[in-house]
Amino acid sequence: MDYLYDGSFEGLMTCIYYHYKKEKAAGIYEISCYQQSIVFQSETVETDISKAKIVSDAINKLISKEAYIYVYYCYLSNDADKENLIMDFLIFAFKYGRKTMNFYTHEKVLPINEIYKKVAREEHRVLGILRFSDIGGILYAKYSPDNDINILLADHFADRYKFEKFIIYDEKRKKAVVYADNVWEIKENISIDNMEFSLNETMIHKLWKQYFTDLAIKERKNINLQFQFVPARYRKNMTEFKL
Amino acid sequence: MDDNLFEKLRILSDAAKYDVSCVSSGVERKNNTVGGIGNASSAGICHAWSTDGRCISLLKILLTNDCIYDCKYCLNRVTNPIERATFTPEEVAELTIQFYRRNYIEGLFLSSAVEKSPDHTMENIYRVLELLRYKYNFWGYVHVKVIPGANSLLVQKTGMLADRMSVNIELPTRESLHILAPQKKVENILQPMSIIHNEISRAIEDKSHFKNFQKFVPGGQSTQMIIGATPDSDKTILKLSQNLYDKFSMKRVFFSAYIPVMSSPNLPAVSTMPPLLREHRLYQADWLMRFYYFNSAELFTEIEPNLDLEFDPKMMYALRNIDRFPIEINKASYEELLRIPGLGVTSAQRIIKERKNAELSYDSLKKMRTVLKRAKYFITVKGKYYGNTKLDPDAIKDEIRMKEIQRQISIFEI
Repeated sequence: MDYLYDGSFEGLMTCIYYHYKKEKAAGIYEISCYQQSIVFQSETVETDISKAKIVSDAINKLISKEAYIYVYYCYLSNDADKENLIMDFLIFAFKYGRKTMNFYTHEKVLPINEIYKKVAREEHRVLGILRFSDIGGILYAKYSPDNDINILLADHFADRYKFEKFIIYDEKRKKAVVYADNVWEIKENISIDNMEFSLNETMIHKLWKQYFTDLAIKERKNINLQFQFVPARYRKNMTEFKL
Repeated sequence: MDDNLFEKLRILSDAAKYDVSCVSSGVERKNNTVGGIGNASSAGICHAWSTDGRCISLLKILLTNDCIYDCKYCLNRVTNPIERATFTPEEVAELTIQFYRRNYIEGLFLSSAVEKSPDHTMENIYRVLELLRYKYNFWGYVHVKVIPGANSLLVQKTGMLADRMSVNIELPTRESLHILAPQKKVENILQPMSIIHNEISRAIEDKSHFKNFQKFVPGGQSTQMIIGATPDSDKTILKLSQNLYDKFSMKRVFFSAYIPVMSSPNLPAVSTMPPLLREHRLYQADWLMRFYYFNSAELFTEIEPNLDLEFDPKMMYALRNIDRFPIEINKASYEELLRIPGLGVTSAQRIIKERKNAELSYDSLKKMRTVLKRAKYFITVKGKYYGNTKLDPDAIKDEIRMKEIQRQISIFEI
């Protein structure tokens, strides 16, 4: 049986619930990407928060908190097969319990480890390269992450800019973290047009670009290294690389 | 913001680039303020990478480059006819805040030439910190340089507001300092280091006794020395490093490859290439001393007081002490694993962890992403040696050289 879910984490957990309580899952797929299989029947799973909670509690108690975090990070990734990798991992992990994460190189565990690292790496990189602009007193940042890491950034910036208001906009997925007065939330299906900057704002952009260019030591030039750290695809939203 | 700011920033960030410390790590702090801005992350955050590949995490500037000293190796020495500029403390604080708000930086790195006098300059540096912490309520990361010769009270006041402080040791020996920077007395450099060290110890002591204790540079102190400006050997440099780590509980000792800025009978020729590879080897040796339990003396021999440029220090150590190898991966202690060339702390820790589940095979090592390119010559796995050569220093060197040539040729093959 192929289970189809709505793309939410709770939906994914509900599918896992049905795998154990209803019928064994052959695969789990997001409903919008699914192509009807010849071999397996498919069923659309309605997201059920209470069933999802039973699964996530089980992961935390029977496997480990670390495993739960890794599974969540995998869910946030852009990996095409993430649902099935997560399912295969959980089937293995529920059998081996608390020792599961020690089996680092096991064929069911390794993919989860690798994807977690990929998402965590992007999260850490974005904390650094996200660029805000002051638009009428509100800090606004736009970016295009590979993985859906909006939710991972919220706490850090809510603390850093505690008494400011900000918007972090994922232009690929059309969703944003919006923060004001100690509360952040994720808004979906929004579209933000290109912003116009004030004269003062443009001046600060110029100051940063000048600073960024000036501090390079010419005798130590290494463009390849720079590309390694800041791949081309991130540069369109970074002030210092814009014309 | 006025147009003058562009000029000042251009001159004073250009002048600061040779102070290589750029880390924003070592302090963990949440924003527990009312109306304030900023936090600190203990791992540090890299915000940008310049064209020389170095990470940028701080606004690194000089408060002024108008110096009264005449240090021979320095671009900013008083006899050099260059453009001079000076920021006001208010300008520095404002620039820091505006860059910080836009997530360009984790904080400020403030150094300075010696303007008028050490005390006068240090007062201004303190003023910047005072503005940032109390007027702007800014609690991001701030690292300031201490001007040698500034009075101790000023040093102490500053340390209560800064996350990290540095006094540059500049050169590896008293003699070279006397020749190249005669106005900088060794005592004036060591005294503030000592004050900082004592205050840090006091703060740590207070922390265990009192709930509300006075913090003092929670990120510790660091220092920097120029390498390649004098004939001092790597052995001398690293021995000094080791002493600084031991005696002043230094967090980091930074090395800055000498970039020739003028001709002088006491300095390398202006056409000399900066010793970047040597600097890299020194950092590798520094890492071995701090994370791999190496002693600086172990990296040198009686006849060779400099690090090898062709092979990294750990490889050279292993080749010189070949009788300690091969090491069996499944039986070695953590310290023994750390001595294997090409094996880092992460791999060593992972090996220890995985060994609890099952005996490791060569394949499982590869699956764990352990880099075996160099390690394979120095280990056995389940008793088997995968080095494809005799356990002989010259034979191993030849193997590695040949593999490197093959790798370079393969880049050009279609």
